[in-house]
Amino acid sequence: MGTSQVYVYAIVHAGRGLPPEARGVGRPPASVRLLPVGELAAVVSDVPEDLRARRRDLMAHQDLLIRLGADAPVLPMRFGMVAEDTRTVAEAVEAAAATHLAALERLRDRTEMNLKVSPAQCGIESLVRADAELRRMLTDVRRRPSYEGNVRLGQAVADGLTRRATQAVEEALPRLTALADGFVRGPEVPGCVLNGSFLVPAAASERFRAEVERTAAAHADQVELRLTGPLPCYSFVPQDGAEPAPPARARAEHAMTGS
Amino acid sequence: MTTTTTYNEAAVCVPRAGTLYDVLELILDRGMVIDIFVRVSLVGIEILKIDARIVVASVDTYLRFAEVCNRLDLNEDASSRTVPELFAGMATGVSRTGAKRAAKSVGGKVKEAIGAGDDDDERDEDRYEDTGDRYEDREEEAAEPRRRRTSSSSGSARSGGGRTARGTHRTEEG
Repeated sequence: MGTSQVYVYAIVHAGRGLPPEARGVGRPPASVRLLPVGELAAVVSDVPEDLRARRRDLMAHQDLLIRLGADAPVLPMRFGMVAEDTRTVAEAVEAAAATHLAALERLRDRTEMNLKVSPAQCGIESLVRADAELRRMLTDVRRRPSYEGNVRLGQAVADGLTRRATQAVEEALPRLTALADGFVRGPEVPGCVLNGSFLVPAAASERFRAEVERTAAAHADQVELRLTGPLPCYSFVPQDGAEPAPPARARAEHAMTGS
Repeated sequence: MTTTTTYNEAAVCVPRAGTLYDVLELILDRGMVIDIFVRVSLVGIEILKIDARIVVASVDTYLRFAEVCNRLDLNEDASSRTVPELFAGMATGVSRTGAKRAAKSVGGKVKEAIGAGDDDDERDEDRYEDTGDRYEDREEEAAEPRRRRTSSSSGSARSGGGRTARGTHRTEEG
């Protein structure tokens, strides 16, 4: 790779410092610097040789963003964004400066919490008891055991578990979005009925965790929950450097109507 | 500090820190993109993503679910029994416990078979790190508190009365 290329981690307000022990991707970790552009600054480093999506580098990217976000808002870049040179970065940041400044304000004192919900496999027995069609299929398979019959039965069970998990999620979602300033559904994850990210005000984060815990307890037969955070606000940045995300509050309400 | 906390039927798990398992698609597919920037090659990342997930929609899983069903004692043949009798049968909790155990072991097998679960990080490394990288990364991992899921009290399943004894072993994240 050319030596003039730069790896871009984030866009922040100008005039702030870098956190102590700010380290970048690569081995040894690239040293990170601020590239001021008007009221903004890009957080950049040199591009290491042979940069790939290694575990180590993904973690380095994420760790730096978390450190940067500890006391001030950050617009996190997607992993692996490389610009031809610093001038390219400066031009790109300048061109969308107003959008970036507005986005930074929207994210101030907020973090992303990611919730993944998958069907609880412990619910098989209660599912079969409650579902006449499954009981009929089970009776058939027991009378005439066959590979196809077992696959059909198992698939129907998987569908049933997914259906019940989805219902539990839709029931619980309004209470969670009410505590957040934003909610977006993330990329579909195999095995999950929900992969959603919440924009949670720092002041509400313990209440949010408590609500997730209550949800888990109330629906233990239907769902398994995994809550990750606080995270850099990956899901609440302007998309493709152009359109700012819709106002956060409107999103939450939108989600609550279930449409 | 960023942590992942798992809440399932058995327990609330101790939050785990510093893993990629649950944030991979956010780091890779979310975050800001500026179109004149280029992106590093993500060769191999698809395998990593699939490897890290529990694949529910597979024939293997279906067959295991069917196996669990076949072990269930639903008193299907006891058509002459009265409803209270059926109820009494359930209340002994023997069939419930057996089924629950079966369901759990199936879950465990599925995760084991596709390499998901608690060991995913080590697997990531084996596959994607250069040989020279492994030592240091493992050392870092060993330094983290990697406590495993807390098990629920075994009495809760046997009581047949549900989950009054749900584990609440969540500790404060530091």
